[in-house]
Amino acid sequence: MSTTTAALEPVFTFLSYSYATLETSFYKIPGSHVIARYVRSSHQNDPGRTVLEIMLFIFAVRTLLQSRTRADHSGKHFIKFDEKEINDLVEEWSPEPLAADLTPHEQAELAAVPVISGPTGPKPKLITGKTVLNLASYNFTGLAGNETINEKAVEVLRKYGLGSCGPPGFYGTQDVHIQLEKDIADFLGTESAILYAQAFSTIPSVISAFSKRGDIIVADRGVNFAIQKGLQISRSTIRWYDHNDLHSLEQVLESVERERRKKNLPLTRRFIITEGIFDHDGLISDLPKLVELKNKYKYRLVLDESISFGSVGRTGRGLTELFNVPATQVDMLVGSVATGLASGGGFCAGTCHVVNHQRINGTSFVFSAAMPAMLAVAGSEGINILRNTPSILTTLHENVRAIRAILDKVDAITIPSHPASATIHLHARIPSPTHLSPNAPPSPSLSSSGKLSNPLSVIPRDPPYYDYDLEEKLLQDVVDECLAQGVMVTRSKTLRKQELAEVRPSIRLAVTAALSRKDCEKAANVIKAACTKIIGKRR
Amino acid sequence: MPSPNSRGTSSPIALIPASPTASLFRKKSPSAMSTAASYLSAVSQADARARKLTDADSTTSTPALSLSSSVTSSSADTILNETSFHANDDGLSYPKVPPTSEQVFQTVHSEFGHCGNGSFRFNSGHQKGEPLKGVEEQEPPHFVLLTTYLSYLLLIILGHIRDFVGKRIRPAAYKHLMNQDGYMALNSDFDSFYTRRLKMRIDDCFSQPTTGVPGRTILLLDRSSPDYNLTYVPTGTRTRALNVSSYNYLGFAQGSGGCADAVEESINKYGVAACGTRLEAGSLDLHVQTEALVARFIGMEDSLISSMGFATNSTIIPALVSKGCLVISDELNHASIRFGVRLSGANVRMFKHNNMEALEQLLREVISQGQPKTHRPWKKILLIVEGLYSMEGTLVNLPVILELKKKYKFYVFIDEAHSVGALGPHGRGICDYFDINPRSVDILMGTFTKSFGAAGGYIAGNKNIIDRLRVSGHTGTYTEVMTPPVLTQIMASMASIMGVAVPQDNKSVVPAHVLAYPGPAPSTALPTWMPLVPAMIDGSDGKMRLRRLAFNARYLNRALRRLGFITFGHDDSPVVPLLLFNPGKMPVFARLMRTRATPIVVVIVAYPATSLITSRVRFCLSASHTKEDIDTLLTACDEIGDLLDLKQAIGERWPLKEIMDRAVEIVNMKEMP
Ligand SMILES: Cc1ncc(COP(=O)(O)O)c(C=O)c1O
Repeated sequence: MSTTTAALEPVFTFLSYSYATLETSFYKIPGSHVIARYVRSSHQNDPGRTVLEIMLFIFAVRTLLQSRTRADHSGKHFIKFDEKEINDLVEEWSPEPLAADLTPHEQAELAAVPVISGPTGPKPKLITGKTVLNLASYNFTGLAGNETINEKAVEVLRKYGLGSCGPPGFYGTQDVHIQLEKDIADFLGTESAILYAQAFSTIPSVISAFSKRGDIIVADRGVNFAIQKGLQISRSTIRWYDHNDLHSLEQVLESVERERRKKNLPLTRRFIITEGIFDHDGLISDLPKLVELKNKYKYRLVLDESISFGSVGRTGRGLTELFNVPATQVDMLVGSVATGLASGGGFCAGTCHVVNHQRINGTSFVFSAAMPAMLAVAGSEGINILRNTPSILTTLHENVRAIRAILDKVDAITIPSHPASATIHLHARIPSPTHLSPNAPPSPSLSSSGKLSNPLSVIPRDPPYYDYDLEEKLLQDVVDECLAQGVMVTRSKTLRKQELAEVRPSIRLAVTAALSRKDCEKAANVIKAACTKIIGKRR
Repeated sequence: MPSPNSRGTSSPIALIPASPTASLFRKKSPSAMSTAASYLSAVSQADARARKLTDADSTTSTPALSLSSSVTSSSADTILNETSFHANDDGLSYPKVPPTSEQVFQTVHSEFGHCGNGSFRFNSGHQKGEPLKGVEEQEPPHFVLLTTYLSYLLLIILGHIRDFVGKRIRPAAYKHLMNQDGYMALNSDFDSFYTRRLKMRIDDCFSQPTTGVPGRTILLLDRSSPDYNLTYVPTGTRTRALNVSSYNYLGFAQGSGGCADAVEESINKYGVAACGTRLEAGSLDLHVQTEALVARFIGMEDSLISSMGFATNSTIIPALVSKGCLVISDELNHASIRFGVRLSGANVRMFKHNNMEALEQLLREVISQGQPKTHRPWKKILLIVEGLYSMEGTLVNLPVILELKKKYKFYVFIDEAHSVGALGPHGRGICDYFDINPRSVDILMGTFTKSFGAAGGYIAGNKNIIDRLRVSGHTGTYTEVMTPPVLTQIMASMASIMGVAVPQDNKSVVPAHVLAYPGPAPSTALPTWMPLVPAMIDGSDGKMRLRRLAFNARYLNRALRRLGFITFGHDDSPVVPLLLFNPGKMPVFARLMRTRATPIVVVIVAYPATSLITSRVRFCLSASHTKEDIDTLLTACDEIGDLLDLKQAIGERWPLKEIMDRAVEIVNMKEMP
């Protein structure tokens, strides 16, 4: 017995010695005293907590180590198989086809898409040989095909080639990109702006650059698909308010604040996200009121002006010009160079901090090539033209009024869009068996008078009733009829199963300043006749 | 000068006949004529000047650090004009060795280098049946590892000290990082620590503004920072530098030449914009034609194009997989793939980069286990890999993947962003490289940004799949269409690589076997108005580009290793990462390169794009580089490598001179020991 103790003596001394060295060297690490003091005092207060904390620490280390190539082996759901069983299972498994074949309906829809032969513009020629009036393409200010822009483009081609051949961080930033960013910022009156290579990919990247897990986003129920994707990728906490209903917004903001106070939650980043002119129906947001609310509740405002930039306001600066609100009041103002300036790409304007943050954290900015120099210059030139020719926007708005004057009176359709919007959506008006007047656009008074919708769900409390398939079919027939009569319009296409909430089928007109008032009236009359003929017949 | 016809148009070294030849469909536009004419005269001037320079070379040592110029000229000959009043012996704007009188090059040397030596060519391709062997990844010596970790530690500690002091002394500078009056900071000091305290130190090596064509050389707009890289002010000068950074594999970034002429024609005809989405009246005939040509180029039934490469992944993957499906993804896949997969709602499992055993292991596990918790079988499994990894230079092991595919029945999606055009004897990408039928892969995705000098991306596959993606992908419904100039650049550059089959007389059609993959494009597939030069029609232009790129890639990869550097990737990869390890060496390397007598711009990459210790510099080669350019780069690497102690690899080393002399031999060796 004693011999074993004696034999173990050196081991004990070694152990105690190494413990001592460990302790002293631990205390030599800067900050170790703090940790030791913390552990000691927390142990004193609650010994259980130490155990808990150690477990948490081990767990954290474990997840960190495992996060990359996580294997489920140890999970309780893991079933152990031997090699033969695995082979059998592999043999047995048969996957679904990679993609489902198109249904006849989808095939017909794809085949019905018009293809333009030659340049697009107000009166393009289709591959069928027919020349049509174009109320479908986004060419609000008629910049497509502009001679000055084309000349500039050729000049740029000879100087820069076409592609930028690299992401902005790696020598893809050219002086023309910097120039367009500056032009946009100057045009809108913000400190700075950042360019993305594609408009659709802009806002998901903007949202996810700022809003992370745990942050709060209050969004409109009717936001477009790109924003929906941004919300999804950001993994933030989402609260919904009724479509374009700022009363509902205020209630949601109030409830979020109440919840925060009640649960004593820490401050997080909070954003209101909505659109200037809604892609789904052409409604216009009440910007002054939005700004008032966001300042009151201390939110940041992300405004998607993809449709409104280049189509409303005296010179096309968008919603901020329309409502005379300084663009600096919008924290992140997102717009489309492709739609607004008939070029390519998108932008986000804001303060220098907002913009510079995206230069490092905007996924589709960092990991994608900068846009071709030519498109950047076309954008700059577009802004130049808009600045110097306010008559373009006047013409556009006159055309909108002329078309509305005719279509507003058509019984077979309802128009949810704001009278100033250059996109005009037409809904089919069909009496339905269940509701008496189900087709009225969702009016603020309706939803706010009753009980609140659930802010956790994108579906409002009283979703409007309509027959999706029937309306879609009728509207497509109207589109086909118009095309036969020489007017190109399009249904507003949406991915029905992928949109968070179903979007009511509509025909979307994109008015352009490049058509004369007479042509616009002519086109509107064709649409009117087609609607009356096809939808009216059903009534 | 001998008659151009005597040389023939399919000369392997692709010297283009001097006389401007009539285009296929149309007379050459006057503007192109004048460009060619002015170019010829400029070349002869250059000739004379270069002769003078080589004579004087030994006596004068010109600093030639930067080509500063305050002149802005908008003519097509900017580059020639600009340098014409500058002594220039850096070989960037004019060849160091003047062309002989028989050699007439039709490219601007600064965009696409003049290289008449036919032995500096190679065919990219993999020996069938051989296993794919990469360079074995060498571990750096321990002291390099140790100092690397210590450097990061030091940087982090210093950063915290600076923050600690800074917050007390200059609170205003930290205001935007702090919560204030009820707003949480957009970017807290903790979240942005890495950016502010580590990246900021080397920020001058990123986002350098440039101008002009990002071709063989690039014109940097010089800048300086008065406040340690917080802000920059342009100095007004410009520096022309050798460009081994842009993704310009086949050298199609050009402001002159066949593709640019075609694009100019398209602008005159179509304008710049197409306005709208594909399914909502944004479709032009050009889109339909381009999609058909892309499908033919890739060798698939059908294809679909999108105006942004990133968005091709992020908007199409959600239409392929959804909840109940599994995506198996290489751990080093591009951000756009991750973005798309995250949006799709499918489960994701990652496997170790390019490790086929790990992949098989994982496949066995996931198929046998089924979906988590429920153990229901997966609806489908999609393997997503890249053809050529842009940070690693590794090629995907496609033969093994296709073996596994037979057994495990998963679908294969290959992102060919960097491999299409850059690999394979016909430039058709990774399948061409391995001589594999592209249709044995389910989906081939790629971008036009890299090899074609354009923008955007494509997806190619069976017609039923592509039609499904047209209808259900986000691209067709929501994203703006590709613009006409971009479409034209794609078609012209593809036609250039493929060659064009013209029917002998007007009635006969080109027989199908001639057009079979990887054959030429039928002239009917191209717009009738598109001007084509003879070198594009017979495919000699494309072939020359492919072969020059293959030579350059192999030469640089092997030469760097012979010099003793640790590199990653495969010998045939035009992306060449050279390992630096130490974070402190990154900016020094980049700055030394940029301030050499012949400035060179490089891309440096560090954590988080790579692992913490494998900081690297990445060279992207191009067909537009000449052998002399690679030699210039090697000389620079050699000198800086000695200075920074970068030559850590074990194995045989050769002196630089010997490597440069035996370049052809090095490239043609079947395997370099
Ligand atoms: C593998 C991969 N996929 C997609 C992309 C995105 O392409 P683009 O720059 O055309 O948006 C890149 C570009 O860096 C890439 O490397």
